[in-house]
Amino acid sequence: MKKTVLVVDDESDVRKSVRMILETNGYKVIEAKDGDDCIKKVKNKDFDLVLLDIMMPGVPVREVIKHITDVKIIFMSVVRISDARRQGLTAQGNVVDFLQKPFNVSDLVERVKINIED
Amino acid sequence: MVRKKDLNKQKFNLKNFFLSKINRKITLLFIIVGILAPFLAIFYFYSISISSIPGATSPEIVMLLQTVAYMIIILIALNTGFIGFLLSRSISKPIKELYNATKQIEKGNYDIKLDIKTRDELQRLGEAFNKAASSLAQTKQERQEIDSAKTEFLSITSHELRSPITPMKAQLQMLEQGYLGKLSKKQKESIAIIIRNTDRLDNIIMDFLEISRIEAARLRFNFREIDLSDTVFETTQFMEGFAKEKNIKLVLNLDDLPIIEADPDRLSQILRNLINNAIKFSKQGSKIEINVRKRQNDILFSVKDNGEGITPEDQIRIFEPFYQVEKHSERRYGGTGLGLAICRGIVESQNGKIWVESKPGRGSKFSFTLPLQPVLDIKPIKVLFSQKSLIEKKIKEEFKSMLGPLGENEFEDLKNKNSLGKQDLFSYIDSLTQQYIITFDRGNIFKNKINNIYCEEKQTNNNLNSFKDKLEELKRD
Repeated sequence: MKKTVLVVDDESDVRKSVRMILETNGYKVIEAKDGDDCIKKVKNKDFDLVLLDIMMPGVPVREVIKHITDVKIIFMSVVRISDARRQGLTAQGNVVDFLQKPFNVSDLVERVKINIED
Repeated sequence: MVRKKDLNKQKFNLKNFFLSKINRKITLLFIIVGILAPFLAIFYFYSISISSIPGATSPEIVMLLQTVAYMIIILIALNTGFIGFLLSRSISKPIKELYNATKQIEKGNYDIKLDIKTRDELQRLGEAFNKAASSLAQTKQERQEIDSAKTEFLSITSHELRSPITPMKAQLQMLEQGYLGKLSKKQKESIAIIIRNTDRLDNIIMDFLEISRIEAARLRFNFREIDLSDTVFETTQFMEGFAKEKNIKLVLNLDDLPIIEADPDRLSQILRNLINNAIKFSKQGSKIEINVRKRQNDILFSVKDNGEGITPEDQIRIFEPFYQVEKHSERRYGGTGLGLAICRGIVESQNGKIWVESKPGRGSKFSFTLPLQPVLDIKPIKVLFSQKSLIEKKIKEEFKSMLGPLGENEFEDLKNKNSLGKQDLFSYIDSLTQQYIITFDRGNIFKNKINNIYCEEKQTNNNLNSFKDKLEELKRD
């Protein structure tokens, strides 16, 4: 059974790139274009991992993560991890990793693999 | 504002009063008038009474008249002296206030208001001063707004520029790693070039972000107690990987270093930058020395290479953004051209100094200092569009006009030590006067000129300076 990853980013090119990379590596990918979309999709379907952008229009990420309770979250953002930490985003227990944009393809694959398996 | 209070609260001080020339002059004038006038009056009164009153020549009457005369003289002298004192004070006090207020303006405190109520020219002078001060305050505020708008713009555009890099880099790496099918050798070469330049573009944008942080005083430091030797050692070890490519040896000379509160990542960032530059400009198989020494108030770090060196012309400008040494206009050394500017920003926001000493053909030595105490209150540092070279040019001119042909050499010496700050120059001038190389008066003129150059930097109106000079003259007279 393929593991499913929800990719949340307001930029379609980023979503598409991540989808191509992850699908090639054997994952199923669902896309969400912003916070609202993400909340809606998390409610209706079970995911194994959420890749979540930090700066998006609409609902602030701080609110979005409150709706994601039982799935692991990896942030991917141009914001630095220290800033994310300062905003209190990394305190939630299921936030497991932080991917600095622009990321390396190999890093993305590796982080997803490690976090989805254990 | 506190300053205004300070000015008005100024209490009467006998010493200051006598030190003020205006006060002395006017009071003395009144005392002289106060003695002369009654003296003359009494002299006539006395001679008239002696000649007209019969029997006035008797010794008792003469004594009485004399005593009365002296009493009157003394009383009137005291009286006029007192009136003179009050009058002179009413003139000198507002002048002193104006003087102090002008000094505040010179320091950049524009929110100052004088309250002179003498109903004469002085009051009008005070009002004109207030208007000038408030227009300066406005200029200052406008300038700050433009400054912060610039920084904000830089920060936003850098973030915006960075986001397209993410999908670009992802797609390029996918191509490179064969996600989209096998590539021919030529295609691979092409992709490698694109990737390299995408990374470079990203580095420039990241450096821009860093500069916007330095300029907005948003640079973050993570201070903690560290063993400096560890940080230096680890950084050197990390850089050894790059040095090996050119068969360069990194030699580390460490003093016994104290454990101090500092940010190891920032320190390492500066060291990496300097060592990286040293490697870039060193010949194959040469040696780079890294020295760390504890001094009285700070730690002195230096990175010395045996490379091609830097001309004096380039030495001044090397800490400016995008400044690349002329000879290498091809930019064959890569890099963003912002590294040293960022280093300067980081060092200076910790009240340290960074400078270079170099002789063309004989290598360069970059040094910086780190104070023993961390600076928690980070101040904005101007990294972009710094007026440094303009100021240096003006200082150089002053050196030439004050010290003759010797001046140019002296200037270059100080510049190489990065000691062209106002305070540095003042102590340099003091040393000149102490050694009787120039007279004390000339030293003061020199200082004034240097001061003016730095005041212009603060955008203090030139007219205000001459206004201040006039006031000072007025006080002196």
